[in-house]
Amino acid sequence: MRFLLLLLPLAWLASCQSDSKPAAPVVVHDGLGRALTLPAHPRRVLALAPSMTEMLYAVADTATIVARCPQDNFPATVLSKPVVNNYPLDMERLVTMKPDVVFTVEGITSVDDAKRLQDLGIPVYYMRFRKVEDVFTGLEELGRLLGREAQGHRVADSLRQRLKLLASPPAHENTNLPKVLAITWQDPIYCYGQNTLFTDEIDLAGGRNAVTETFPQPYPALTREYILKLNPDVLLGGSFEKLDSTFFKNYPELKRIKAYQTRRVFAITGNLMERPGPRVVESVRELQGLLRSQTNVMSSAAETFRVPK
Amino acid sequence: MKSQRPLFWLLTGLALVLVLLVLGLRVGSYTTSYSFILNTFRHYDPADPAQLVLVQLRLPRLLLALLAGASLAVSGYLLQTLVTNPLADPYLLGTASGASLGAIASYVLVPSLTVMGVYLPPVAALAGAFGATLLVVALGTRRGRILPAPLLLAGVAVGALASAVGSLLTFLASPEGSLRSVVFWAFGSFERAGWSVLPYPTAALAISLVVLAFMQKDLNLLLLGEERAAALGLPVARRRWLLVGLAAGLTGGVVALCGPVGFVGLLVPHLTRGLLGTTGRLNLLFCAVLGGGFLLACDLLARLLYPPAGLPVGLVTALFGVPFFVYLLRKTT
Repeated sequence: MRFLLLLLPLAWLASCQSDSKPAAPVVVHDGLGRALTLPAHPRRVLALAPSMTEMLYAVADTATIVARCPQDNFPATVLSKPVVNNYPLDMERLVTMKPDVVFTVEGITSVDDAKRLQDLGIPVYYMRFRKVEDVFTGLEELGRLLGREAQGHRVADSLRQRLKLLASPPAHENTNLPKVLAITWQDPIYCYGQNTLFTDEIDLAGGRNAVTETFPQPYPALTREYILKLNPDVLLGGSFEKLDSTFFKNYPELKRIKAYQTRRVFAITGNLMERPGPRVVESVRELQGLLRSQTNVMSSAAETFRVPK
Repeated sequence: MKSQRPLFWLLTGLALVLVLLVLGLRVGSYTTSYSFILNTFRHYDPADPAQLVLVQLRLPRLLLALLAGASLAVSGYLLQTLVTNPLADPYLLGTASGASLGAIASYVLVPSLTVMGVYLPPVAALAGAFGATLLVVALGTRRGRILPAPLLLAGVAVGALASAVGSLLTFLASPEGSLRSVVFWAFGSFERAGWSVLPYPTAALAISLVVLAFMQKDLNLLLLGEERAAALGLPVARRRWLLVGLAAGLTGGVVALCGPVGFVGLLVPHLTRGLLGTTGRLNLLFCAVLGGGFLLACDLLARLLYPPAGLPVGLVTALFGVPFFVYLLRKTT
């Protein structure tokens, strides 16, 4: 028995030794189904999208994150990292950072750029998010790829738990859920389409995406006529005062939509909604808060109308 | 080569425009039948959203397409006559690139797009259009006379410069949305149409057509070249100034409202001459009708092919206009 006990530290030392040897590279498939060869434990990583950087900060050892892209601003410590331009992609600067793997999101980095980087020996791993759950599985995937599986699971599970507490199903399910239109640009009018993460986020927050048709492009351009037909209950994209002096001034016909009539027009924190990262639950919470506050506004507006002049 | 049936072609063109207008009124997010359209125009009720859409959105859009097509076609016809060059189009005077520069500058430099309650892009585009036109005309003028060859070259030079500055601004633009606006604007669209913007292009077109109705003979003389026209008693210098003024007025307003819709100003004048002859009396009127009909058709197609916002109309004019143009070219040569 003693002999066995003596052997244990030796066995531990031996295992340490085998760990320090570079492990064999692994072949994985990314979110676009592309086959990639990655080192078993990447030591230098970077992301080309702000949402991916946030995910790296949640899962990776932050010392292994070697650079950031210009839009990155969360968490604040990211600002101390050197910058690599992601659009247009600063290929030279990226190569000098010698990353073992680069993470990005579908639609942000062109597949052509990814191919060029791969030819230079830098694998580019794409992720794709359609549902809020995809973000959580993405965090777990990131944990697996970076050899921090436990951390990935921990973060994802905690987010799932927070979402569960947040998104209690509404008492009157499927009845009169507010139709929410979220615009991203005013001229031309672009919005969050059906095939974006927004659709799932707003579902979880207790509303539904006003755009129910699925268009080829995730952020479709809409006509005024189309918006009048949608007649959304809530409009997201700027405060009532701001949109009243810009959007509704340029498109006065749209003042007929319910959202304007009941002043349910709200600004949202841009970098929350636009980033499918670990703060996605915060984004759902914000949307939920806005939808709930609109009910209050509605009832207070109704009361105001009742007051005789 | 003079067609024997100019009136027939003109009436056919008018009938085509009418059909396209009616068809155009039916296409959109709201389903509207012919009886509904008829009923709307008899008893308009703005409280009904479908009726409001028909009268406030669809009809002005169709009229703007019609006016834009007519204005660009007439402007192209005038400039082809002025420089006696078949390659001339309404944007020869630098109008399109000047307007683009104005619009791009407003999209990129003023993210709120509104200054003192005024929506900036169309105003900036109009200023850019007239600024560029003035510069081109100044460069193409010697001692008060507009000279076609320097005018052409000045147009190319100013156009290239304005495009380069516009591209630089676009390249430096940081918000992704600005880029989308710039790209969307560059292809042209009638989506921003409304009754309030229609008076300008209507007035420009009406004035131009009335003035030109008295000048048909002069236009034909100009085609003979400067010396022969002058020998026949035409005040060439004054006529050229008038034509440039009319062309700039017609093009500037349209570009400011719809963006630089391409090709209509090149294709339609050629088609007009092909059908009605080079010196026909009804040429300008037919050119206007055909240009309007062409853009109406292109807009209809754009909305049918890619709902809800439609393809940019400039893409459709090129995609469908160019093969047709090449066919005509092969046939006539």
